[in-house]
Amino acid sequence: MVYSFPEEVLEYVFAFLSSDKDRNAVSLVCKSWYEIERWCRRRVFIGNCYAVSPQIMIRRFPEVRAVKIKGKPHFADFNLVPERWGAYVYPWISAMARSYPWLEEIKLKRMVVTDESLELISKSFKNFKVLSLSSCEGFTTDGLSSIAANCRNLRELDLRESEVEDLSGHWLSHFPDNFTSLVSLNMSCLGSEVSFSALERLISRCPNLKTLRLNRAVPVEKLASLLRRAPQLVEFGTGACSTEIRTDIFSNLVEAFSGCKHLESLSGFWDVVPAYLPAMYCVCSRITKLNLSYATVQSPDLVELISQCSNLKCLWVLDYIEDAGLKALSSYCKDLQELRVFPSDPYSAEPNVSLTEQGLVTVSAGCPKLQSVLYFCRQMSNAALIAIARNRPNLLRFRLCIIEPQAPDYLTLEPLDTGFGAIVEHCKELRRLSLSGLLTDRVFEYIGTHAKKLEMLSLAFAGDSDLGLHHVLSGCESLRKLEIRDCPFGDRALLANAAKLETMRSLWMSSCSVSYGACKLLGQKMPNLNVEVIDERGPPDSRPESISVEKLYVYRTVAGPRADKPDFVWTMDEDGALRFS
Amino acid sequence: MKLQLKLALPSNLDEGFDLNYRNEDQEEEEDCRLMKKKRSFDETFEEIKNVEIPRTLSLLDHIDLCDEEDGVVGWPPINSWRKKICHHHHNRHGCNATMNYVTVENGGRGGSGRGRSNYMYVKVKMEGVGIARKEKVQGYKLTYQDKEGDWLLAGDMPWGTFIKSVQRLKLLRNGH
Repeated sequence: MVYSFPEEVLEYVFAFLSSDKDRNAVSLVCKSWYEIERWCRRRVFIGNCYAVSPQIMIRRFPEVRAVKIKGKPHFADFNLVPERWGAYVYPWISAMARSYPWLEEIKLKRMVVTDESLELISKSFKNFKVLSLSSCEGFTTDGLSSIAANCRNLRELDLRESEVEDLSGHWLSHFPDNFTSLVSLNMSCLGSEVSFSALERLISRCPNLKTLRLNRAVPVEKLASLLRRAPQLVEFGTGACSTEIRTDIFSNLVEAFSGCKHLESLSGFWDVVPAYLPAMYCVCSRITKLNLSYATVQSPDLVELISQCSNLKCLWVLDYIEDAGLKALSSYCKDLQELRVFPSDPYSAEPNVSLTEQGLVTVSAGCPKLQSVLYFCRQMSNAALIAIARNRPNLLRFRLCIIEPQAPDYLTLEPLDTGFGAIVEHCKELRRLSLSGLLTDRVFEYIGTHAKKLEMLSLAFAGDSDLGLHHVLSGCESLRKLEIRDCPFGDRALLANAAKLETMRSLWMSSCSVSYGACKLLGQKMPNLNVEVIDERGPPDSRPESISVEKLYVYRTVAGPRADKPDFVWTMDEDGALRFS
Repeated sequence: MKLQLKLALPSNLDEGFDLNYRNEDQEEEEDCRLMKKKRSFDETFEEIKNVEIPRTLSLLDHIDLCDEEDGVVGWPPINSWRKKICHHHHNRHGCNATMNYVTVENGGRGGSGRGRSNYMYVKVKMEGVGIARKEKVQGYKLTYQDKEGDWLLAGDMPWGTFIKSVQRLKLLRNGH
């Protein structure tokens, strides 16, 4: 007996599937399910803009409403990817402008976005609602003017951590007077002052505004006026809070904050004068996310604030918090899930604060829900790492940066292999790991053996030989992204595990020991990979094949070699020849 | 003539790890080595306080000034937004912006930079520290060893005379 549902029923059922994984699985059941699913997929996530082309995406999914695209490799955040490398969004916008007239959402990360792209977006999609540009660059405030002026139904404009050429603050004034749909505005990365009255009026007429992250140029004395117009805010980011403290400013601020009964997230606090922090005490009990990582405030003041935040789930802070502050955190904030501690003075040779491995150990012991850690410090021991691992087997993300490269266990002077080994052994659900300190091939043996759910691994100045890389590539079954710098990994491990690279999104290796010859061979043997050599010394052909390449970026793709490469990127071709663009 | 540039640290130092095999840059003029005889400098310069370092420090033109903000590109791994607050914080706390300007670029490649730093930086390797880093010249005094083996303070001497006699350079932290 053959059962068959009418298409409409299947479509109705598929509409409940939001995860890409589920939808991909559904597509593989049979041809008719593939067809039905592809017509009703509304959201597409592209983890690597060069893994697929806009044309391929549009051909398969003709009715998309929301697109999220990522461009440059993660190490671009640390200046390891040269300028003009790529990740231009314009070809995507132009293709979607033709084929997706009903597109509502575009979210981009680490892509180059031009004013031209922004203008095209603003004019092509009548129902455009969400624009999120995270760590993007290439546009000016003129592009923002187009968005403000033309996107009548805009709900979200989020520019987090993008590099915007700030020509003036005038762009904000381009939102029409009858524009009322704004729900989220994050302009924290902009430098220029926007017209304050335009900002006030905008906020006043948008009753659904839930997120407002101001830029540094909005001084603390103006915050009260904004908060009073938007008491419904859930997420708020201040500007600079450096104006000398005055009673009237302070009391206005207290009053304004006390009117905000729904605030859950606070950020901003550039140059904050500590005396302003108490103005926020009235909202602290509801706060779940606190980003103090731009607040150059000392530990006692931080502790005063944090001790009031009993519901805190996520804290980003500078190392001014010190071990003492972390101890307080561990006793007041039992719901803490995520902790990020950034360095206040990363380039000096000596510590400027009393923050050590002990702070992290204490938090791992006191916060049972802690699952996500990013921690910069100057000393670490195997004992501490083992303690953390035993305390918190529920860790999902663990990124440790010991500031001095190859720093050993400061107590025993041994490598930190056993410490990180304990992390991967105890934390069985670990998805993301960044290593630092002195590490031999042994740590990679532990990782390959235990880190079966690991999806992303970041390495620097670690390992002794190819064996290290081999352990990772052969053992980590769930690995999707591997980024490596300054490790003595070379040809053998890479070539022996070539097939593994097709199961991953990407591999980045810079300042390692991979020869040009090996890159050519890899490109030859693996037609589904783009094997890209990045070398600013000129064509790799002009040097012996045994010479190591500067940087290597390997990723799986169905789009073939890039057509937009700059002059310092070469694709290793199937023919074994060099391919220039 | 090979110039040897060293940096004196105020405290006792660990036996560092020999990372030279990884960080050796054979093309650079200055040859960074571990400092051996600190005490003789302390003795010689104990009484000297508030020594003024010549403004132009033309000697440093011969040394490869870092284009990067730190000694190693991209380390520690913090993004440009966080780097800005580190510098901003430094500017607020203590250092006067009266020294010569040096172009500093975020991109890690040579050439013209976007921003200007308020300090003159020199790329050095400090004893006990594995990675070369950039240090502000301000706060150090420049000393040199002449042909006779004596250590002297670099001062107002004609350039020609100076380079005929200088053998080694050392930057001493003020107060030591």
